[in-house]
Amino acid sequence: MTHKKRKATELHRAAKLYASECTEGKLSRREFLTRATALGVAAPAAYGLLGLSAPAARADTPQMGGTLRVQMDIRAQRDPRTWDWSELANVCRGWLEYLVQYNRDGTITPVLLEDWEANDDATEYTLMIRQGVTWNNGDAFTAEHVAHNFERWCDTSVEGNSMASRMGAIMEDDALREGAVEVVDEHTLRLHLSRPDITLISGLADYPAAVVHPDFNGDPIGDPIGTGPYRPVSHDTGIGAVIERNPDHTWWNEGNGAWLDRIEFVDLGTDPAAWVASAEGAEIDMLYETTGDFLDIFTAIGMDQTEAVTSSTLVVRFNQENEPYDNRAVRRALQMAISNAEVLELGYSDLGIVAENHHVCPIHPEYAELPPIEMDRDAALDMLEAEGHADTEFELISSDETFHADTADNIAAQMREAGINIRRTILPGATFWNDWLTYPFSATSWAMRPLGVQTLNLAYRSGVAWNESAFSNVEFDELLDQANGIPDADERREIMARLQEIMQEEGVAIIPYWRSLFRHARPNIHNAEMHPTFEIHYQNYWMS
Amino acid sequence: MLLFLARRIGVMIVTALCLTFIVFYLTNLPAKLETLAKTQAGSRISDAEVASWLDRNGYNQPMLTRYGEWLGVVPGWTREDGDGDVTGRCYRAYGITDPGVAPARCGLLQGYWGESTRFRASVADVIPPRLGATGLLMMWALIVMVPMALIVGVLAGMREGSRTDRTLSTFAIASTATPEYVSGVVFIALLASSTAGLSPLLSSWGWIDAPVLFQGNARSALEKITFWNFTLPVMTIALYGMGYVARITRASMTEVMTQQYIRTARLKGVSFANIVLRHALRNALIAPFTVIMLQIPWLLTGVVIVEVLFSYPGFGWTLFEAAVNNDIELLLAASVVAVIVVLLTQLISDIGYVWLNPRIRVT
Repeated sequence: MTHKKRKATELHRAAKLYASECTEGKLSRREFLTRATALGVAAPAAYGLLGLSAPAARADTPQMGGTLRVQMDIRAQRDPRTWDWSELANVCRGWLEYLVQYNRDGTITPVLLEDWEANDDATEYTLMIRQGVTWNNGDAFTAEHVAHNFERWCDTSVEGNSMASRMGAIMEDDALREGAVEVVDEHTLRLHLSRPDITLISGLADYPAAVVHPDFNGDPIGDPIGTGPYRPVSHDTGIGAVIERNPDHTWWNEGNGAWLDRIEFVDLGTDPAAWVASAEGAEIDMLYETTGDFLDIFTAIGMDQTEAVTSSTLVVRFNQENEPYDNRAVRRALQMAISNAEVLELGYSDLGIVAENHHVCPIHPEYAELPPIEMDRDAALDMLEAEGHADTEFELISSDETFHADTADNIAAQMREAGINIRRTILPGATFWNDWLTYPFSATSWAMRPLGVQTLNLAYRSGVAWNESAFSNVEFDELLDQANGIPDADERREIMARLQEIMQEEGVAIIPYWRSLFRHARPNIHNAEMHPTFEIHYQNYWMS
Repeated sequence: MLLFLARRIGVMIVTALCLTFIVFYLTNLPAKLETLAKTQAGSRISDAEVASWLDRNGYNQPMLTRYGEWLGVVPGWTREDGDGDVTGRCYRAYGITDPGVAPARCGLLQGYWGESTRFRASVADVIPPRLGATGLLMMWALIVMVPMALIVGVLAGMREGSRTDRTLSTFAIASTATPEYVSGVVFIALLASSTAGLSPLLSSWGWIDAPVLFQGNARSALEKITFWNFTLPVMTIALYGMGYVARITRASMTEVMTQQYIRTARLKGVSFANIVLRHALRNALIAPFTVIMLQIPWLLTGVVIVEVLFSYPGFGWTLFEAAVNNDIELLLAASVVAVIVVLLTQLISDIGYVWLNPRIRVT
């Protein structure tokens, strides 16, 4: 896995890109430093990229103790493999650990694994299970337990088991394929895949992939058997959850974390104004996420802002099973009417970087740089006229969530500017998601995935469950299959270039920007920077 | 009197039945059930998975049957799992999987209020602590509201048209014309923000240590109520009801003050204070008493806004959460509680009216 093996001295591609933008004056120095360090470049190295030397900083050693209070949605808990919100996972991270972990800089590091190896065509993986790990009920953690988890993840008879969609290569007939998981010895497991799949390991870092004990009964709060250093004290849906360090358990990573005594999650509802009121009253120390207009407010009341560059985005897609979006020229014309930079600036307050109408982000290891996309409103209108759709009224649907609505509003405004007849419909969130797969033209938010091929597999391969654009292209599917078999990101990039081009040529969707995520925390909270997949690794946080 | 009580309880049951049926109907529309399945089994599950989830959880029967199940007059649904275990409404209610052990019916009549899908807990466990939290909030709101309203009303009404009357009436009208969602936000901006309103001033003068005067969020009041975290929600509720009660008190007071017996008392030389306190007050309080009792259910609606605004998990907040998440059985239970509160306060107001005014009898 090349994305894991990046050496400490090797800089992230995007960081170099930002450095050149910064020297050209397109990016402020402060902005550059935030982004470069978000990509895992150490601060001195980031200064080095600009030819400067870093200001001397005091090295901090973590302190034990303290209670951290975090604003976060507390939803009713359920079986980890059916988790559909990262908040659910964040509560349980202190005792339910993962085989591997996705880091802020895009790398993947082992947690309950010691290491792993893939063969050259990514059809066989050897997982070295970490030794010396015990469950908090005293059992030793073995390869058998991991095999049991693979079996659970492959069980599609459980509704909402989203792990099954990540395990396709070791499944057969809606369950784990016999012989796909081989227990070599107590601490070695071998996976035999039916087809090459390079995303398997990063799938194990996803939030529903929490590793549970064979006796687990489906309730992570009532039955908190795990390997981590914490345990739940209380959990009240919609109100809060309290977690404390587990005094009866020796954590395998003792001494390298679990600094905090207690973590209190507080659910203050969905209105950020209530969070401000609570932060002002010194009742919370940290937010799950800060968005939009509230970034400046939280900074103004003395909290520190951290940023994570991500590949999450809003996909304004056409559903090709619906008239008139079955026509490629119509889709291309609507795309051409849009300046993505303007959407980012006006629809998302410039809180991210511009995207290019394909679903591979510069922070993905295999991202290929393509020539910039063109925006030509006159040509767009001409194309629509040629197809007989000059007077057609298009309808763009979005949910009422602020940034969804703002972005879609801006896209509609740009289309109107080009002379295209467009109507906007805003649906309440609860109603919107009932039919998100089938709207003719609508905006869907897509979360970050560590590898470029992952979202392509989930959303653009012919006939897959989440293919909301009804995109079906033989060449695309074949190339995607090939890309899925190349573990090396640099080799894969050549194929990715073509995949990205196909998405642009076919006018699959308007993908205007990559969202940066933000989080505010009080200055005395350390290691709590925003994570690209919203993860709260409170076992690594500490307070001064 | 007994007949009167029996009739009242009868009305209460019929009202509760009608109301719960309407709520049941609205929350069981197909689109609502689909939302429910998605919040329960995963927000991005497919239509087939939705159908399977609804089927496996007993939502696929006719609506009337399921309403009957909830009431406890129709036997609860059952389904046999592949491995010989039986599940069903009553099996889940009592956590039983062995066939034939669970009772056939389990609903309101059997004392089973159902399961909250939002909170994943028994409704009977969810409602009482929330109701208790709201009880505290209402109690403090009433403690602030009633004396203030009566004082303002009596002071304004004892000399109609005086400067005191005009000033206090203006205040009462202004407070009753400001809904909770306005006054709550104004209070927060004015008193609980470190960048706007009074707090930065007080803080720069060194009068307060904390960055804000009052807490703009009442979540911490759940553990410990303090003057600083409970003042704003209590004031927001109290202020709205206060103006109205003060107006009624004033009207009633002015009327009493024009009565013959007041004039007689004055002529015989009783002091003004004595007239107001001993002769006028009791008669003037009959009308406000009923209004105050009727204010309680009215406050219950205001409580929804205030509790959500200040993130205080009480009954109103629960109602809001249940409605937003289409939590059918929790909403039904909340409606039953609301009906009971409304009719109970009306009952008390009727009986109290008789007690205060001997000219009226209940029968």
